[in-house]
Amino acid sequence: MEAMSVRKVAFPRYAEYNCAFRYIFEEAMDVRCIQPPAITRRTMELGAKHSPEFVCTPFKITLGSMIEALEAGADTLLMVHGLCRLGYYGELQEQILHDLGYRFDFINLSEYDMGKKKEYIKIVKRINPKVHLAKFAAKFMEGIRMVEYLDEVTAEYYRSCGFDATGGQYKAAYRRFLTALYTARTRADIEDAYRAVRQSFQTIPINKPLRPLRVGIVGEFYTVMDAFSNLELEDKLSGMGVELYRWMNVTHQFFQYSAQKNMGVKIRDLCTYEMGPTATANIWYAKECAERGFDGLIHVKSAGCTPEIDVMPALQTISGTYKVPVLYLTYDSQTSDVGLMTRLEAFYDMIEMRKKVL
Amino acid sequence: MEHAYLGIDVGSISTKGAIIDENNQLLASQYIWTQGDPIGAVKELTGLLEKQFDKEHYKIVATGATGSARKLVGAIIGATMVKNEITAHAVGTTTFYPDVRTILEIGGQDSKIILVENGVAVDYAMNTLCAAGTGAFLSSQAKRLGIEVEDIGEYALRSTHPTQIAARCTVFAESDLVHKIQMGHPREDIIAGVCNAVVANYLNNVGKGKKIISPVVFQGGVSKNKGVVAAFEDTLGCQVIVDPNGHLMGALGVAILAKKGSVRRDFDFSVENMEFHTREAGCGGCSNNCEIICVYRGDELIDSWGNRCERGARVH
Repeated sequence: MEAMSVRKVAFPRYAEYNCAFRYIFEEAMDVRCIQPPAITRRTMELGAKHSPEFVCTPFKITLGSMIEALEAGADTLLMVHGLCRLGYYGELQEQILHDLGYRFDFINLSEYDMGKKKEYIKIVKRINPKVHLAKFAAKFMEGIRMVEYLDEVTAEYYRSCGFDATGGQYKAAYRRFLTALYTARTRADIEDAYRAVRQSFQTIPINKPLRPLRVGIVGEFYTVMDAFSNLELEDKLSGMGVELYRWMNVTHQFFQYSAQKNMGVKIRDLCTYEMGPTATANIWYAKECAERGFDGLIHVKSAGCTPEIDVMPALQTISGTYKVPVLYLTYDSQTSDVGLMTRLEAFYDMIEMRKKVL
Repeated sequence: MEHAYLGIDVGSISTKGAIIDENNQLLASQYIWTQGDPIGAVKELTGLLEKQFDKEHYKIVATGATGSARKLVGAIIGATMVKNEITAHAVGTTTFYPDVRTILEIGGQDSKIILVENGVAVDYAMNTLCAAGTGAFLSSQAKRLGIEVEDIGEYALRSTHPTQIAARCTVFAESDLVHKIQMGHPREDIIAGVCNAVVANYLNNVGKGKKIISPVVFQGGVSKNKGVVAAFEDTLGCQVIVDPNGHLMGALGVAILAKKGSVRRDFDFSVENMEFHTREAGCGGCSNNCEIICVYRGDELIDSWGNRCERGARVH
């Protein structure tokens, strides 16, 4: 690689957050972003082929997505750190990709102390030594703003899209918003996209009953958010006419987590210690949903996710105390959704009939 | 001419059909093996049902399909109601046993538990990744021991000292079982041990964390096995009700749902003589390569599904 040439950085596909990664790479760091193609069955097969058998599905999918990014011309890969096995994933993926013969620079956030601001500057300087730090800081915050808008709009979308009275305008507005985020170059672009989608959501007629079915979704960080990984769980369920609530997203988990410092206190009766990256938040949110009288809860995890297995006994207690049914879904590298549909339809029928009687 | 309602439940192992009248009374019923050919099984089933059915006095005005092949079968018979088997079982059982609190169901490939309160299902669970504790395990072990699966119950009840068999997973259970056979355990005890293992596995996997309250109704193909029923009663410490029509409960449930539904379409028994086939088409619109299933009656396309986006809609 020439010393002066611009890096081509890629981050594996992760729900719809790649729009913000692109914005931060290109606008804040002045490097090129290689957007890996949307996750398909091929991504999964590529990843599974080169992964250890018993690793969780997010590892396989992100590995597959990295391979597709390298095929598309990326020369630098970025991988996040994490509090479960995820912390080791970057190192292992780097090794696997090197063994496959790919040549690239791997920036593994696990190697940095992410609690310190100085470390962030180190990472930025490594990606582009010539970066202007003041400009970076401003543009980086715009990227963060993009994530916040994305999470806010997505949450609103799944609360109402199942009741769209126009047969598709709601979805079209959401799609337009995503496209605008993926192509945004300035702060104005981001704000315009946000304003436009807000306006659409307010004007498109919604045919929602007075007391709609409400379902809370909790679960493992990657699978619960990534539509390919959870076989479009949210689209399927909201399409049946359900209000969906999911607290778990990047905004809440990373930017606003400190606001929920009392989570541990609120669930003291259910668990004493932190059990992993998302366990406390999931138990807290499940309890919150139950207390708000939701009609059902869905717990999503990939097979073998230890922190989320630890959450399940607490959810069973919540289910018994508040009389709220919980559907436990475990995902592996299967791509057929027939079994999922059977369970979701049955779950929907159950909570619907139950609501009429209770 | 009185109205009648047909329900068909096509599972992985067996195909069930039931025709009921306005008061949910059974007019005709049939239970046959699917043998990996759901279309053939449904045609055979309609033929057998037609022979039992009194066409002079009744006509079928609504039909329902359930079971893992419900979509395909629904397209073929022109069903007015296509419902998942969990709902069908819950509706069927609560209609005949309004007081039921717990429904245990063990079928060929899957097992479920449904908790009922005030006649409405309030919680359910279904086995996910493993087929241990299902009929498939029982029938493969019966084959190993050289007895018919129907006779397992009789054998099991004769045992006084059931053999301990690991119940965590079919593979472990099987190697444990082989070991116990080679140690010279009597066949009765081994079979009773297998029945206990199925129950233990079911309660540990599907029934985990669920409060099982009496009255308990047990259904699905495995409920015909007296050994498993006895093992359930032993473990739960309460009576376990097995309906004589327990194996038909899915079909009955979906017939009742079809009756409650608003759509009415007369059912035509000539289905048994029609030619159906399915074709799988790869979409190729993106690297997902969705498999699109097209169902034909003769040369006419009657239904297709399997595409995940609009791109797949044009492929036929």
